[in-house]
Amino acid sequence: MRKELPDWLKTAMPETAAAPEAIARTAREQAETLGLPGLRDEEWRWTNLRAIQRGQFSAPIGVGADIEPSIRLPLDNPLRLRFIDGVFEGVPNEIPEGLTLSALADADEDTRQAAFSPTPAPSVENPNDALVTLNTAMAREGVVIDVAANAVIERPIVIEWLDGATESVMSHPRVLVRLGQSSSATLIEHIETVGEQPSWRNSVIVSSIAANAALTHIALGLDGARRLATERTFVSLERDARYHSHNVQLGGQMIRREYDIHVGGSGAHVDLIGLMMPRGKQVLDTHTRITHAAADTTSNEHYRTIADDAGRGIFKGRILIEEDAQRIQAYQSSNNLILSDNAEIDAKPELEIYADDVSCSHGATIGRLDEEALFYLRSRGLQLDEARGLLIAGFAQEVVDEIPLVELRDWLTERVEQRLGERDTADDEKA
Amino acid sequence: MALLEIKNLHAEIDGKEILRGINLTINAGEVHAIMGPNGSGKSTLCHVLGGRDGYEVTQGTITFDGHDLLEMETEERAVAGMLLGFQHPVEIPGVKNIYLLKESLNAKREAQGLDEVDTFTFMKQVRELVASMDMDDAFLHRGVNAGFSGGEKKRNEILQMLLLEPKLALLDETDSGLDIDALKVVSEGINRMRGEERGIILVTHYQRLLNYVEPDFVHVLYQGKIIKSGDKSLAHRLEAEGYQEILEEAS
Repeated sequence: MRKELPDWLKTAMPETAAAPEAIARTAREQAETLGLPGLRDEEWRWTNLRAIQRGQFSAPIGVGADIEPSIRLPLDNPLRLRFIDGVFEGVPNEIPEGLTLSALADADEDTRQAAFSPTPAPSVENPNDALVTLNTAMAREGVVIDVAANAVIERPIVIEWLDGATESVMSHPRVLVRLGQSSSATLIEHIETVGEQPSWRNSVIVSSIAANAALTHIALGLDGARRLATERTFVSLERDARYHSHNVQLGGQMIRREYDIHVGGSGAHVDLIGLMMPRGKQVLDTHTRITHAAADTTSNEHYRTIADDAGRGIFKGRILIEEDAQRIQAYQSSNNLILSDNAEIDAKPELEIYADDVSCSHGATIGRLDEEALFYLRSRGLQLDEARGLLIAGFAQEVVDEIPLVELRDWLTERVEQRLGERDTADDEKA
Repeated sequence: MALLEIKNLHAEIDGKEILRGINLTINAGEVHAIMGPNGSGKSTLCHVLGGRDGYEVTQGTITFDGHDLLEMETEERAVAGMLLGFQHPVEIPGVKNIYLLKESLNAKREAQGLDEVDTFTFMKQVRELVASMDMDDAFLHRGVNAGFSGGEKKRNEILQMLLLEPKLALLDETDSGLDIDALKVVSEGINRMRGEERGIILVTHYQRLLNYVEPDFVHVLYQGKIIKSGDKSLAHRLEAEGYQEILEEAS
């Protein structure tokens, strides 16, 4: 079923890794057995890893610190954690009180243990976890973000994944995020291609949010014609904790992003918001799994995809409500817009409910632009093109509006409009 | 020259003939009410006038302000001064009201060879109109009709008309589903639009609206034809006697 690990990947397996020795050794053995997921794995029906399989990627050699992102996010005094082709460039100088940042390689044994022991634990039965196992076996770079109890970190913590700086490089970075009780922080992933080179990043973020703490996590996949990424985020929430995720994917050859959320304490709340806009031949794929393991917990999930050209968008959202988790409210919606005959969208909600006192709903729509709405706008004097553009932008705007940082929200609004503007130009050229 | 002249209009949808020879002339300064039972062709007439896809005009002509209306796209009709008020205004959650209002106004100004409206003047005018329609400013920054009640949607339609000042306002069942307070606000808005330069068509199922907006002419539409025309007393007769008597009389 699974594809065997390609030889170039086997030989790239390092002798030493950031994971504690016992964990790394097991992972190395498992990685060989597990191989890479193939199309016959249920979770990989719509997305294949052929580009990785054939990629001949090699480990990063480090290209120096003079590479800067070309896209500037409008953030107030951010704390930048820069990874160039997966190589960590070090922690910033002035770090606010209550926050500790350290390179994973410098972390003590217990911390490294935590970084490689996510909740929920990956299982070897799950084909997705072949990639996590591979990361565990191969991770040498990473960062640890610790927020002390009661600390409120106002400055956004920005992980810059700058991919594609050198030829055909792969990376397996690992990030650990721990929020102490009643603390709060904002983590932003700034994902950008800094060269024309093909690249593959297989990154894993392991986060734990203690009681009454709140983590806002925004991922911005901004561009990339030849960028491949397999990204995994684990989140565990204790009582009254809150996790707000906003996942925006605007580019990449093949991006597979997965969230595993373990809602383990009563009163905890999760928001998973997402916008994917595949175009060209891009494949943008997000899978989410929320486990409500405690009573009186809530989750709200809202994903939108706009697929153009021969782009493909995939969304699969699983919600599992455990037997003792009563009085749960879980809401999921997946709305999808197809703009071209060659575009494709696959959307699949999955609910598994074992408790009986649960309010759970989901809805998925896939469609073209609403003819009624187009007629309405035209009847107010707007040109067809403008009306179309307005409806598409409006469709995206509803999820952009849920970004909690105002400047970033405005910036992204413009960025999305700009993207759609390029679409009009491209159409004109064709015509 | 008449503002709108419909001659022997036949139209069908999916091969089924709905309009079977409508003749109607509307001059600037007049308010016409078109009444009729369900299925008489009222909405089809509005859609054909609005330029909605899916309707085929098989015979007849429509002249609007000297233009051949049937040759014009929906947006061309709008900027030429014909505005359709929807029976069911569409919800467009991601597009802000204020944005639509401004773009609509600028589309019309562009067609007239005018510069874009300056923001200050525009905002001032819009705020006044919002207040006059008994609406809240906050509505401007909400999505077009998104989550609006039926009454709010209809107020929004009138608000757009007041801003865009069409030559011909075509109101498709603008009174349906309104409570009495909303009906009064909407009617006042319509009455404010009345003027020498403007024609208004009220397409309605109920006579109630006509107690607040007094029409100059009333037409009864039945099975795709105007079977009777008269002044406002015709509406009162319809209210008192129902359609049946008038239908029998006409046949």
